[in-house]
Amino acid sequence: MKRERSKKYLWLQRLRIITQSIFFLLFFWLFLQTHYPGEDYLKITVERFFHFDPLLLLTTLLASRVLMAALLLSLLTLVATLLFGRFVCGWLCPLGALHQFSSFIFKKTRWLKPQKDDRASLAPKYLILVLVLAASLLSLNLVGYLDPLSFLYRSFAVFISPLLNLGLSQSGNLAYLLGLKSLGQAVSQALGNLALNGLFQNALLIGSLFLAAVLLNAWKERFWCRYLCPAGALLGLFSRFNLFQLQIDPEKCINCHLCSIHCETNARPYPAEDWRSSECVYCETCAAICPTAAISFPLRLQATRMQGVNLSRRRLLLTSITGLFLAPIFKISPARHRSHPALIRPPGAAAEPEFLARCVKCGECMKVCPTNALHPALTEAGPEGVWTPVLVPRIGYCEYYCSLCTQVCPTGAIRELTVEEKVTVKIGTAWVDQTRCLPYALGKPCIVCEEHCPVSPKAIQLVRVDTLTPEGKVATNLAPFVNVDSCIGCGICENKCVVMDLPAIRVSSVGEHRSTRNRLVLPTVEDQNQLET
Amino acid sequence: MERRDFIKNLIVGGLALKLSPGLLSQTAWPELAVVEGESPAAITREALKVLGGMSRFISRGDKVLLKPNIGWDRTPEMAACTNPEVVRALVEMTLEAGAKEVIVMDHTINQPKRCYTRSGIQDAARAAGARVLFTDEQRLKKMALRGEWLKEWEVFQDFVEADKLINVPVAKVHSLSRVTLGLKNWLGAIGGNRNQLHQKIDQAVVDLGAFFKPTLTVLDAYRVLFRNGPQGGRISDTRLQKTVVAGVDPVAVDAYGATFFEIKPQELAFLKLAQSRGLGQFELEKVRIEKRAV
Repeated sequence: MKRERSKKYLWLQRLRIITQSIFFLLFFWLFLQTHYPGEDYLKITVERFFHFDPLLLLTTLLASRVLMAALLLSLLTLVATLLFGRFVCGWLCPLGALHQFSSFIFKKTRWLKPQKDDRASLAPKYLILVLVLAASLLSLNLVGYLDPLSFLYRSFAVFISPLLNLGLSQSGNLAYLLGLKSLGQAVSQALGNLALNGLFQNALLIGSLFLAAVLLNAWKERFWCRYLCPAGALLGLFSRFNLFQLQIDPEKCINCHLCSIHCETNARPYPAEDWRSSECVYCETCAAICPTAAISFPLRLQATRMQGVNLSRRRLLLTSITGLFLAPIFKISPARHRSHPALIRPPGAAAEPEFLARCVKCGECMKVCPTNALHPALTEAGPEGVWTPVLVPRIGYCEYYCSLCTQVCPTGAIRELTVEEKVTVKIGTAWVDQTRCLPYALGKPCIVCEEHCPVSPKAIQLVRVDTLTPEGKVATNLAPFVNVDSCIGCGICENKCVVMDLPAIRVSSVGEHRSTRNRLVLPTVEDQNQLET
Repeated sequence: MERRDFIKNLIVGGLALKLSPGLLSQTAWPELAVVEGESPAAITREALKVLGGMSRFISRGDKVLLKPNIGWDRTPEMAACTNPEVVRALVEMTLEAGAKEVIVMDHTINQPKRCYTRSGIQDAARAAGARVLFTDEQRLKKMALRGEWLKEWEVFQDFVEADKLINVPVAKVHSLSRVTLGLKNWLGAIGGNRNQLHQKIDQAVVDLGAFFKPTLTVLDAYRVLFRNGPQGGRISDTRLQKTVVAGVDPVAVDAYGATFFEIKPQELAFLKLAQSRGLGQFELEKVRIEKRAV
């Protein structure tokens, strides 16, 4: 018998690789575009990928009971999956592309070669999905940790971006050392324009998880897609019709099992009756690798029996119950009851319960922030708020005329604000630590916080302060006094304070507008009368 | 050069010198030009004309660094940064005078790209032909400033490497040094923890002024910030003064600048320090000032 691989499917495989590369590059390009563009408002919807993710639609809708209109675009993904199966995973998903590429590379190596024989159950991702959805029902939004887009974007924003920044600036430094001044200049100017944020708390943790996710491909090909991805599981449940059905020509098939051995997602193409259509991502590898061109995916309009992963009813029930129980367990932390002083949310953030229900920890806001002010939280927001954005004034402050973080949130956890609206939003309050402030504690002049206060009239006023020195002299200096009503909590005072380790003026979340509990000063009778008139 | 051309040049040059006696004796030019008018660009041009033209300061082939104040993320009408039209006019004149390259640069306080963009200076200076560059941490080098207080500090090398420095500050109030004008503008040429300089700001400003020594200082007082300095925030914090003050003597320029805020130069500690360091003259009655309106 003539042995020849199918030209058509080899070409389709190449087309798939090209499409994957394009979508990965598009994702990365949008990632790089997520920065201050030289205008107040972003022209491109940099968070567009997220709008096509039906898992985010479902979880945020369940958890917050609010519909974010842009996420309705993900219905397109669902309809397409309903008809054609999980081709989104195989052709379009940027994280899928990364896993497939690293699997491909690992297969070529000696030490990182993934196991071929895989009898492990593919059920975990479905159980993860059920868990996440059940938790969402009780307003506990866990989707961000394993949603593929959130995972990839967060890793890029918090881990890859600082590395890129470091690499570029060091290569610029090298260029100067080699006397290539114009190259060094070009690099530094590009860096200035790209505004890549260079420092993140928890970067090592998030980066390690990212590397681990990639390295898992050395164990099993596309490990993430096979076992972990809740979005893939959701699409698996929706792949009902699979209009392109796998077909093996029994005349040509030589029972070599190559197709099943090389199937990236363990969808078991051979024998065709056992093909798990809900696991197939249409990568076309089986059809392209078949030595006798026996495999094809012809269009078939009649409905066939759908083959999925065996999920026992008992396991599903147990997982749902676990998900429902997780919610109260996560919520018995004090975080929801009393605000953490360091929990300074970006301007436009919803009140804490709604914010937690909607935020998917994707890191868009952290990437777009021009001053590197937003960081993934660790303990500040309680157990359910791990990796939600928190403003860390010691590293970056909130730029007064900037509302970029409010423009990129894919789930509306941060409400979009105009610059005019943004400057009125109070996210915290600055407090002078008189035991560390130079004029108060040392009797030395310093007005740095007052100078930097962007509010007009300034929220930091100067008062004359007498400090008694050990020599018995009185040092009179101007010293800061914070007007809590006009302070918006931007944190530039803390950021620029000359006391480097523990600044002598610090912002805490108290007084933030979004909270009715974390209030500071009740409005006076006069204020209330003024509001009424 | 042909011998004939040489002789011709000699004759033409000699005649020119004979007919214009001012060309050799620099003392003929006023020390301070103060020009008032509606257009920021026109008064800047006129101020340079009063001083004898940009070619008096810039030689053909010079690499020039123009240092405006681009410190804040504020639009021009807030008067927190130098007026972009003043910068544009200066870049144009510098290039007209034969400069090989004009770099416009400042170490900003707010996020650099936002400051460069929203101040309008990046666009204006680029349109005029300058290279507008962000400061680059890699180009910081610890240098001996040999100041009274600042012995050494990190300086951006671009400011040291330029053939000519032109300082283009904007006139603003400041709660510690009372005003921020030309001498204080050099805080934008250095790195490190600049905010620590506020512990002895007058001395720091003079030490920096003694180190950087600009060829020319052009103070933008088209719109001055008289309240809520040094960044303002409301247009009502500013006042139209519609003036540009230019001169070689940085102390005299700052002394004149102080008068916009009803401050007598002798009240300013940094001016006294600067004069005793030999940086210039703050007693304006001893300075040859030419005022014009266009």
